[in-house]
Amino acid sequence: MAVGLTLIFGVMRVINFAHGDMMVWGMYIALLLSRRAGLDPYVGFVISAVALFALGLAVQRGLVQRIVDAPHEMQILLMLGVALVLENAALMAFGPEPERVRSPLAASTIWLGPVFVDVGRLVTFGVAVLLTLLLWLFLFRTDLGRAIRAAADNPYGALVIGTDVRRVYATAFGIGAACVGAAGALVSPLLPFQPATGLSLSITSFNIVIIGGMGSLLGAFIGGLLVSVAESLGAVFLAPSLKELVSFSLLILILLFRPAGLFGKRAP
Amino acid sequence: MASTRVTRRTLLKTAAAGAAVVGFPLPLRAQAKTFKIGVIHPVTGPLAEPGQACRVGAQMAAEAINAAGGIKALGGMKLELLLGDTQTKGDVARAEAERLINAGAQMLQGPFNSGDAAAMVPVVQQRRVPFLIDIAAADPITANVAKSVREGQQKLQFVYRNFPTGSSFGRKAVQYFGEIFKEAGVSPKRIVVMHANDLFGQLQARGFVAAHKAAKPAWDIVEVIPWPEPPSDLSTEVSRAKALKPDIIAPITRPASAQLLLPELRKQRVEIMGIVGPGSPGLYEAGQLAALKEDLEYVLTSVPWPDFKNPKTRAVAEEYRKRSGGKTFDTNSGYSYDAMMLIADILERARSTDAEAIVAAMKKTDWQGQLMVSAGPVRFNELGDNPNAIPAMIQILGLRPTVVWPKESAERKFVFPRPKA
Repeated sequence: MAVGLTLIFGVMRVINFAHGDMMVWGMYIALLLSRRAGLDPYVGFVISAVALFALGLAVQRGLVQRIVDAPHEMQILLMLGVALVLENAALMAFGPEPERVRSPLAASTIWLGPVFVDVGRLVTFGVAVLLTLLLWLFLFRTDLGRAIRAAADNPYGALVIGTDVRRVYATAFGIGAACVGAAGALVSPLLPFQPATGLSLSITSFNIVIIGGMGSLLGAFIGGLLVSVAESLGAVFLAPSLKELVSFSLLILILLFRPAGLFGKRAP
Repeated sequence: MASTRVTRRTLLKTAAAGAAVVGFPLPLRAQAKTFKIGVIHPVTGPLAEPGQACRVGAQMAAEAINAAGGIKALGGMKLELLLGDTQTKGDVARAEAERLINAGAQMLQGPFNSGDAAAMVPVVQQRRVPFLIDIAAADPITANVAKSVREGQQKLQFVYRNFPTGSSFGRKAVQYFGEIFKEAGVSPKRIVVMHANDLFGQLQARGFVAAHKAAKPAWDIVEVIPWPEPPSDLSTEVSRAKALKPDIIAPITRPASAQLLLPELRKQRVEIMGIVGPGSPGLYEAGQLAALKEDLEYVLTSVPWPDFKNPKTRAVAEEYRKRSGGKTFDTNSGYSYDAMMLIADILERARSTDAEAIVAAMKKTDWQGQLMVSAGPVRFNELGDNPNAIPAMIQILGLRPTVVWPKESAERKFVFPRPKA
């Protein structure tokens, strides 16, 4: 999910505050597919990603495109507005109760001696690695991917050599949203969610992206691993309720000593 | 012009009232036709689900009272409900209390959330409107008013509560734990308390630990493990609990954290005699049962619960199920139903709509009509609380919440220790 956020920021310099709420919609789509069509979320994530791609495209075309060049605070206001609309639409459509998608895969565990491995988490991790890899291949090995990177590096230059920057932006936003849609569906059996969950998801992904470096795919990936390992170790060695303290202390340290993040490029 | 119109309307109304109360003594005709009760709950916002249940419970009770002929001691006066919404915000709760009193509310009932109740108390004390708290557990709500009346800063207490207080939850839970262990003939030693570290979870955990310390039972609380609420993952917390080799896990959850905790306990194969909660949401609601299914089976929780051994409770529960689209008659709908019935009893004895007469009748309450599991009739002590309002121990058996303790109210015998998977 952090990969999607970093992609959107890296390309358009727009901070997507509706990211967590988009993810919650990905979760609800997985829930609907599982309840109505009996589709396991580990398969249904593809549909969830496609739906969020369409949503991302629509949000970009209708709203974000108008403010790409506006100051950051105006972009933030707009994206917070989108977040509010998404959250309350979910509240109206699905109600306030926490939900969880049931999947037989998420309920099983493998025991290697005294160590147990949660199959649901393992599969989610595997698919996340695979998706990040595919995205990387797409960005570095296809024409559209190269165009996205060009527009990210220098929009004016990209325009000069004949790139349809608006289309590229829309695609990038759509792909970013699709990543978060897939992520939402994949964690829906592991994490109970309700409409209000979006904000905490947004904050977690900002934390990861800032630690990893804004706009860096590898950074988002490593940042995600770093934050979760830090939280788990914090819960073991300190009090469990202090684990968020550990990850946010990490954030402050990074901001103090490496403001661009671990893999981010320094601002020119 | 305007005054003549009002006069005509008043005349018409009086005539209608006169026709309705033909045969009753003259002074009654001068009184309002209805007794207005402000019913305030969080029907929107994060606690909308329980708030709506409370409102429906109060409405059903008022309809039943009116259908049975209203308040007989007041010439068949009907109850009229003025509805309010706190949105679980203290300032809104206060404003709603004022609004309804301005609209003519002669009594207030509500408000589910302790913070909202605390915000409403100054209003009712100032405006001298009797306030019956149907649900809100924090001890200071009534205790603070009682103290200022005792010290002479205020003349009369207008706030009364028919709900177990926060501190009594902890004491009762410790008591039930001991009684159930004894009845089952087992002696678990090591109990691990796991709790959400929000305000509610901390108070509840602290109350339980303090009550345990005071009672000195044969079992120990070996560790208290908090988690940030809402949690994103509880695997480390659970492995920490597992390493302590507990006999019992005592969870204090919220609906979202219960959905993480119970599957995690199963996945990590934590071998225990049972999961016994000192009292918290998330372990018995219809939505949770649908989401957690067999993970909730055999879970015990201490919670205020309707007494389904009472045939009247079963009848009301059936009607509630129809009216709410299949929901269970539970803590919230039950206590607000009882509160409205209690108000009717108070009015019958007050024989007047005067606020001080109502308070005098409230103080002398000795009412047995409640549908909730209780230790005896409703009586208010010097703080304005009803010490006979108690939680019950319920257990999920066959995916249905069932009262298993106290013995007098038990629908079935508990299953403890739980069968090995």
